[in-house]
Parts: sequence; structure tokens; C-alpha cells
Amino acid sequence: MSALFGTLGTWAALAFALVLTVKGFLGLSNPARSSARSLAIPAVGLLVSAGVAMAALEIGLLTDDFSVHYIANNSASTTPFLYKAASAWAALEGSLVLWGLVLAAFTFFIWRAMRRLEGPDPLWAGALGVMGVVSAFFFFMMVSVSNPFEVCTQAGSFGFGCEAASAWPFSTISAPLHGLGPNPLLQNHPLMAVHPPLLYVGYVGMTAPFSFAMASLLLGESGDRWLRVTRNWTRIAWIFLTAGVVLGGLWSYEVLGWGGYWAWDPVENASFMPWLVATMFVHTAALQMRRGVLQAWSYALVIATFSLTILGTFLTRSGVINSVHSFTQSAIGPVLLWFLMAVLVGSFGVYAARINRVGSAPRLDSLASREGMFMINNLLLGVLAIVVLVGTLYPLFVEWRTGDQVGVGRPFFDRMALPLSFALLFAMAIGPITPFRKASPRVVWERFRTPMRVSLSLAALAAILWRPNGWILLSVLASTFVAGTVVRQLWTAARKGSAARGGNIAGEALATMRRDTAFWGGQIAHVGIAVLALGIALSANGAVRGTVDVDEGVPVAFAGFELTLVDNFERDEPNRILRGAVVEIRRGGDLVTTLQPRLNEYRIRGQQIASPAVDTGLRGDLYLSLASDPGVFPVELDLYWFPFIWLVWTGGFMAAAGGLWAWLVRPPRRKEAAIPEGAARV
Amino acid sequence: MSERARKIAAWVVTLGLVATVVWGFLAGEPTESDRVFALGARIKCPVCQGESIQESPSETAMAMLDVVAEKVEAGQTDEQILEYFTDRYGDGIRLDPRFEFRTMLLWLLPAAALIGGGLMIWSRRRRPGEEPS
Repeated sequence: MSALFGTLGTWAALAFALVLTVKGFLGLSNPARSSARSLAIPAVGLLVSAGVAMAALEIGLLTDDFSVHYIANNSASTTPFLYKAASAWAALEGSLVLWGLVLAAFTFFIWRAMRRLEGPDPLWAGALGVMGVVSAFFFFMMVSVSNPFEVCTQAGSFGFGCEAASAWPFSTISAPLHGLGPNPLLQNHPLMAVHPPLLYVGYVGMTAPFSFAMASLLLGESGDRWLRVTRNWTRIAWIFLTAGVVLGGLWSYEVLGWGGYWAWDPVENASFMPWLVATMFVHTAALQMRRGVLQAWSYALVIATFSLTILGTFLTRSGVINSVHSFTQSAIGPVLLWFLMAVLVGSFGVYAARINRVGSAPRLDSLASREGMFMINNLLLGVLAIVVLVGTLYPLFVEWRTGDQVGVGRPFFDRMALPLSFALLFAMAIGPITPFRKASPRVVWERFRTPMRVSLSLAALAAILWRPNGWILLSVLASTFVAGTVVRQLWTAARKGSAARGGNIAGEALATMRRDTAFWGGQIAHVGIAVLALGIALSANGAVRGTVDVDEGVPVAFAGFELTLVDNFERDEPNRILRGAVVEIRRGGDLVTTLQPRLNEYRIRGQQIASPAVDTGLRGDLYLSLASDPGVFPVELDLYWFPFIWLVWTGGFMAAAGGLWAWLVRPPRRKEAAIPEGAARV
Repeated sequence: MSERARKIAAWVVTLGLVATVVWGFLAGEPTESDRVFALGARIKCPVCQGESIQESPSETAMAMLDVVAEKVEAGQTDEQILEYFTDRYGDGIRLDPRFEFRTMLLWLLPAAALIGGGLMIWSRRRRPGEEPS
């Protein structure tokens, strides 16, 4: 049944997407046909049919419908409920269904917002037309090269999994008795249920500003209306992208057992590049809406962001990373590559043809201004994005041209990213306190000197008392400087407000932050990034690593702790066998905690996955990972001590929270005369 | 204290703080004294997906890391050790590519972007004599 409903859903969605494309573009070219009412059927129909497809997939997964090829190979009856549900995005075909649903949801919300307009609007109709094109492509993938609803026509050996499939739902079905279950790595941690959907909302959400940008270019409409309209969708996409990337790091840390959270792996880079360019876009959009500069650049950035999400999908899903020559083995790689080419040629073609009509290029009064600082931000983030792009693609390029392998990994990325990151932090501290138009050095100095002296004092104090290594010191300096300038600005505004109105400082500070949520949301995000940077520096440079053999009852010293292996255990679960060690952790004789690092053997796929055990404390994480069979003494353990690594996650989520502030917090209702927009900041 | 003296004192204190931080930066412990760890991070695990031999728990990686440790013990230089692995596994074993003709673009493209972008920003400023926007 799921195959039938799923197939119907995807085909219907494809049809509605095509209708939306045609009607949207008709509306773009003829204002009389661009009302929300004329787009109602395809916009609602797309969401409903994408919803049917997703529901069919989920119901099939939860009811173990192994007549569906995808379900037989990515789920099993013994798979726990949560991971059955999450198996929908455990492989390419299923994740496309989720992708399609998110895209359809954004399309629907754009249409719903369009209904509230007073009359027909070609910009909105055109944007929905572009959403239709992108949706049509993804649903085309689902009915052709990457079909999640193929029925199983040949069960695998011993009734496990499916070996051959057919797209025709009424083919003779030979359903296997057992499913294979998801890849063990993907059923080992509950974050698997959260991280991919968040990332997809982030990826797909960027289609909304892209669509409005294309419609605006096609109409030759100058001005920033497309930016104002999409402001909240861009924010939502950025928030989810940020949270998705941070959770990806957390997942890697909690599951993979090598003690790290970021490896500059192509899959990680594929999510980081759109984040970097989307962050550039968020900044230029803010600047353009305020000062009318960088109009052409905003278009270029939003096109680049969208193209990078498609490039990321291509890199992670075509198999091209394993080897350039393997990607043609499935049809997905070439189809995605062709679509990427079409997006690049099509959108930059429109851009080149129309940019003279829509983009003005007023010169800046002075480079020493907020505008100039925004450009520095874009320069630094842009160079970082190019480093990641070049580093990710270069090995593929060399292998393709010469057949040779070159490795580009962490040492390269770290070396390039380190100076850029510090430059970004200092720019982040100075940028928001620099006045618009033309900054007089006196004003900047006035706002700058106290935070600078405070962070210098803190860094000097750390240097004397603690003698940390140079990178930690520099991070303390940069991060406290960023936070200090933000706090100083808030303090000054709150004090002024309290003097004028007599309220208390805390209330005035909150009111200040609520008056200009875009600016203060950004400042919260900046402080989050500063905290994140401090966490990276402290945990990476202060880390202690070791490998020890532990015997039962014999204590081992590590990083100020005393570790004693007290027991081992073996536990049967329906889908796996857990085998682990019980390790008591003491500090100065007092029991801190008991950790149980373990190995999980997944029965069906017969793979063994280690689950590290982590004790998180205020001062840092103690991280234990099994390196040998816990049933045989002595047991080999990989040990790590990461000081203050919780700052990494805290900072990352704080950055996302800044986006939430800008999106959700409404300015307070004011009794006195409204201040002109943005007057709270200088 | 006169206004002038107060200003001078503030500057002296600030410069003192800067000097302390610079001293702390230069005198701090080296980032990673463990050469085996640092070298391991620069060598790719040949049987894994983009992991270094330092990160990977696989047996091949562990064995290779042991070789690195032996060679460090024997007093070989970083370059000698990397050369040893490059000879056996090819250039692809390095996660940290050398600067050579083939990898030139890798290093030059970001530099070009930085310079090009900087020039673009510079050209956006209002030249003397132009009307303000």
C-alpha cells in the first residue's frame, strides 16, 4: 500500500509542481494573472501530495512494509521506533521525500503569505513559479533515478533485504521476510532523528530568497522589496542551517568515537559552505535594506547559496567523493550535476542580463564606516568559503584530470581557517560599533577603548596566572573583546533609557534589545560565535589524549582523574548486542561518575560500532572510547580530556538563538511617538 | 591628577597589558608537543574515508601510527617521516599537500580571492571630488 500511495503522491506532486511553474511564470509576465487565487490549486496540491508521499513512507517504515525496496533495505522489524521513523532520511531516496515535503511546505507558506496581499503581484507569482521549477526537479528525481517507492521484485538471500525492484507499483511483489535495518551508524544516537531534518529545513529554506531574487531579476524590479519580503524566511533558513551544522558536530562527537566534532570531511564542508555564504547574504541584506548599497552583490550571494546547497547534495549523494570515477555508476550523480549546471548557467545568465537594470552601485562615502566593515565581513567569509570550496573540490579535480590522488585534509583547512577566523572575530568586535557613512576615529575609539582594555586585562591575567598556549590567549582576547563591545553598547543604551524614563537598567536593556530585534539578534549571534571560538580554542589546545590498557580493579591515572575498570557487561536488545566496560571515575578519591563505553553489534548487518561514554562537567568532558573487546582483560581504552568543550555547543546554539530573536521577538508597543526604524542604533 | 597625567597613565597601562599578552603569546607552551600526534594528523588513513591515521580507530591506522612513533623515537625529521609514507602510498597519503606545481591553485586561489576582493572593496570608495551618494 505504501508503494502505491507513495508513487501516487510523488507523481501528483510532480504534476502540481509543473502546473505551479507554468502558472507562476504566466503571472510573472502578465500582472492580471498573478493573483494568489490562480495559484491556489498547485500550491496547496503540491503540499498535500508531498505530504501523502511522506506519510506513505513513514507508515510503511513503521508497519514494516518490506514490499517497498527502500524500506526493506533501510529498516527492520527489530529497529526501535525512533530509528524506524528516522530511517526515512537514512539514505538518498527517502531523504529526497523529506526534502520535497520541506520544499512544498515553504512553497505553501509563501502562497499563504501572498493571499494576504492586497492585489495580484507578479513578483510573488514569479517566485512561486521558481519554487515550482525546483520542486519539479526534486520530484522528477523521485519518480526516475532515485525512486523511494519501488516495489521489491526479488527478495535477498535468506529473506534479508531486497535485491531487485520495479517502479511499477502493480508488479509481482516478492517481499523479503526481514529488512536490513539502517546503517548502524545511523541508528546509534537519537540526534539522527533531529540533525538531518534541521539541516534540510536550512538547505531548502534558502530556496525562498533565491526564488524571490530570480523573480525580481526577471521582472527587472529595482529596490530591495524581494529582500524585505523574504527577510523572515531567510532568517528561518539560517537558524536551521546553523543548528543543523552544530548538531552535526555534536552527533559526530557522540557517535564516531574519535573524540572530535569536526574533521573538514567533504560532507561537513558541504553543509558549512552554504552556511558561510548564507551568513554573508544575511549581512549584505541587512546593509542593503538600510543603506541601499550592494544590490547586485546580494543577488549574487543568494544565487551562490542556493547553488552551494545543490553542490552539497551532489557531493554527498553521488558517490563522487569516494572516487571521481564511481559517480556515473548511479544515474543520480549526472542528473544532479546537470541540474547544478542548469542552475548556475540559468541564474547567473538572468543575473548578467538584468543586473544593469536592478543593481545600482553608489559609492561609499568612506571605507572607514559600517558599510566598509560589512564589506570586510563579506571579504573574510567569502575567502573562507573559497578555501573550503577549493579544498573540497581540488582532490576531485586532480583525480579527474590526472588520475592521481592528492589529499587535502584538516592540516590544510586549519592553517587557512585560523588566521581568517581571528580576523573575523576582530572585525565582529569593531564592525557593530562603527557608525554608518563615515566613522570618525574619535567615536570609534570612545566605544572601543573600554572593552579593549577589559579584554586586554583578562588576557594579561590569563597569561600571568595560567600560562596557556598562544592560541588560547589570542582567543580569550578576541572573544572577550567581541562580547565586551556588545555589552558596552547595551549598557550605554540602557543607561540612557533609564535616565530618560526612570526605568531600571535591566528592563531598559531588554527594551533596547526588543526595539531593534534585527540588530540585537545579530549581536546575540556574534557573542555566540565568540563563545564557540573560545570553546574551539580551549578544547583543541588544552586537550589531553591517551591510550591505556586497563585491568580489572587496577586504577589508572589520566588527566587528574583515576580510572578503575570494575566490571563488564553484555546486554541483548532486539536489534543489537551491547557489550561494554564499567569504569569508575574518581578525582582525589571521590567518585565522580561511572562511565560505560561500549560496542554495539548490529545483528543483521553484523557491524560493530563503538559508543563512546562522555562525562560532561563544567571544567570539561572526560571522553572514553573502547579500542578492544571489553570481554577480554586488559581492555584497551582511548581516553580524551577536552576542557570547556561545552562552550562549542553553547556558542553554536546561542548563534542560532540570535536568529530566533530577530525572527520571533516583536518590538514593544510604545505609547509615545514611534521612533523612526533603526534609530536605537547609531 | 591632571587630565593629561591621567591620559598618559591610561596609555602606559594599556601598553603594559599589550606587552604582557604578547609575552604570553610568545612564551606559551607549543600547541602540540606530541610530534606523533601532529604527524599522525597529517597522514591520511588509506583504508578510511578522509580520516587521518591519528583519528581512525582502524588497525591499519594504528599500525601506521606505531611506525610514526618508532621513527620519531629514532630521531627522524617530520619531512623524512612524511617522505617515507609518500614513497610507499603516493602523494594522496598527505592530508597537507605540498606547495608544488600541481597543488599551486589550492594555495593561490584563496590568496587571489583575498586580493581581488580587497581591490573590489577599495574601488567602491568615493573618490575625492565626487558627489556624495
